[in-house]
Amino acid sequence: MSRRLVLHWSGKHLEADVSFRDGGVTLTRDAAKVEASYRREGAWITLTIGGVTHRAAVAKDARGLWVSCRGRTWLLVPEGREGAARGSADAPDEIRAPMTGRVVSVAARAGDGAREGDLLLTIEAMKMEFKLTAPEDGVVLEVACAEGDRVDLGQLLVRLKPSAVEGETA
Amino acid sequence: MTPARADLARPSAPRLFRKVLVANRAEIAARVCRTLREMKIASVAVYSEADRGAHHTRVADEAVCIGPPAPSDSYLNMAALLDAARVTGAEAIHPGYGFLSQSAAFARACEKAGVVFIGPSAESMELLGDKASSRRAAERSGVPTIPGVEGVARIEDALREAEKIGYPVLLKAVGGGGGRGMRRAGDAGELRDAFESARREAATAFGDDRLFLEKLVHPARHVEIQILGDGSDAIAIGERECSLQRRYQKIVEESPCSVLSEKTRAAMEAAAVALAREARYAGAATVEFLLGPGGDFYFLEVNTRLQVEHPVTEMRSGLDLVRAQIEVAAGGVLPKKPALRGHAIEARLNAEDPYHGYLPQTGNVILLQWPAGDGVRVDAGIRQWQPVHAHYDSLLAKVIAHGRDREEARRRLIAALESLALLGVATNQAFLLELLEDRAFATGETYTHTLESRAWPGPDAVPDEALLAAAIALQAPPDASRVGRDDADRYSPWTRLGVWGRATPANRGAGGGGA
Repeated sequence: MSRRLVLHWSGKHLEADVSFRDGGVTLTRDAAKVEASYRREGAWITLTIGGVTHRAAVAKDARGLWVSCRGRTWLLVPEGREGAARGSADAPDEIRAPMTGRVVSVAARAGDGAREGDLLLTIEAMKMEFKLTAPEDGVVLEVACAEGDRVDLGQLLVRLKPSAVEGETA
Repeated sequence: MTPARADLARPSAPRLFRKVLVANRAEIAARVCRTLREMKIASVAVYSEADRGAHHTRVADEAVCIGPPAPSDSYLNMAALLDAARVTGAEAIHPGYGFLSQSAAFARACEKAGVVFIGPSAESMELLGDKASSRRAAERSGVPTIPGVEGVARIEDALREAEKIGYPVLLKAVGGGGGRGMRRAGDAGELRDAFESARREAATAFGDDRLFLEKLVHPARHVEIQILGDGSDAIAIGERECSLQRRYQKIVEESPCSVLSEKTRAAMEAAAVALAREARYAGAATVEFLLGPGGDFYFLEVNTRLQVEHPVTEMRSGLDLVRAQIEVAAGGVLPKKPALRGHAIEARLNAEDPYHGYLPQTGNVILLQWPAGDGVRVDAGIRQWQPVHAHYDSLLAKVIAHGRDREEARRRLIAALESLALLGVATNQAFLLELLEDRAFATGETYTHTLESRAWPGPDAVPDEALLAAAIALQAPPDASRVGRDDADRYSPWTRLGVWGRATPANRGAGGGGA
């Protein structure tokens, strides 16, 4: 029986059809079919695709499924939980302090539009200055800090209303 | 030499310490404990409340809590550290790097408390640790320095001096290190912009807003000489190239430097040794230089402590630098200048997102597999199930590979990083691999601006094998007899989270009810 796998990685929407049989699995993604045989030992999965062997480590936490393969790691997030992947308590439109530190400058103003990557504010922590940028296009709803403020890890700094809701087009 | 050291001075057979406290955390604390164990010296680890049960506390013979998570309340808290030394009966303190390792005040406090500080005297630390006085010491010992001026307080002075020296120029904090307070300016306009932020950063980071202004050497390599002194004499143990830096934080280090001639190396080593003698330096230190495009080199600064990248030198020399530090502190003699062989490269595994402004990453380590193999060394700072906090430096571990030549070391390091698996905290592992496999690195074209002058795209897709592994992991447990059937799904939290939907258009997107 074929089933649809829906996951998110780094803001990208991934869909594939997967079907299992004894020791084997078939993945169909974008009309391309990949057949693999596999063996699973706890967190380690050995896959053979077209005669090439891959070894992957997998583990789950509250943020999603972590997969590591040849030194690259992917955090794959189930549908509907994309916000959880951005960090401990972050909702998709909340910019929170990544470290305990001090606000050096604030570029964002409530009501302003922001494009993905636009500078919102700069905080200074342990070793350096961090520029916090808009994770996606949107409108600044609230700036919850001011220049010179000491901020704690996880403290809300800016709220951003995304201009388009992701995932409605599939 | 401190009185505590003089008591122990017996050059032929130093009386080593019975117990040493390591005033640090994570990988360097664990690394120092390893040498202490080899030397049959008891080790005491310290930890903040945030580091309870951390890796470094488990590799020591004892561990003492020294206060709340904030560094100023724990790892920088001199009274708490000396108290821990007293309570445990430690005769000496190894400061590691960072934290109090370059604090002359701490070295003095140790001396007053009758505990040996494993490092230089407060006096040589002050002489070499301050950028202004170390530069003067360098000039006195005939070590070439970059044209520039110290103690620039006003923007008008900065602009006038920059005209004299010629742009581009660099602004640096007089009391700084690790790149904090450093700014580059290509013209007068940029200098105006950079001046205030450099001063502000210098004031907050070091409580001293004095700035250096100097000529920017470009393209430059960062090359440093490892030295070891005993208070009168010193030896140089080759160089390390640490050009690959992001925001002046090193990320990949190697030895030897691929473009350094024998003649320049000898001149750099001689300059470093002259400086160590001038400061009557005891212990390990690193003299940092900028290597210009014409083989010209200039003194940068001295780090009066063990460096993060010291394993690179250890891999080539076979010398244990921590052991040498301990022996010198106990009044022992300097080792002979060792022969250096092969090539070593170190990569720093950091909990940071190199593709999004190097933002620090947090989480719990839910799976951890370190690499192993010929010529591979891992200096680990975490263990499985350990939380990674934002309170401290993002360095999780260092992976170092040694080979007969640069290419063998590079291949071994790539293989090691490819077999390293760390899940639960995002790291720069993929970025390190991208860097090591890059043509610029493979051909030795490494400059201090290399990382920031180019885009590093990073992985842009999830490959089939990773998606297949995910599908298998999300499948019913491997021992379930009816793999893929509906009953197996019912007990999977992932179904409730909406991972699996039926492959029918009507149901797509309707599976997220439990989220």
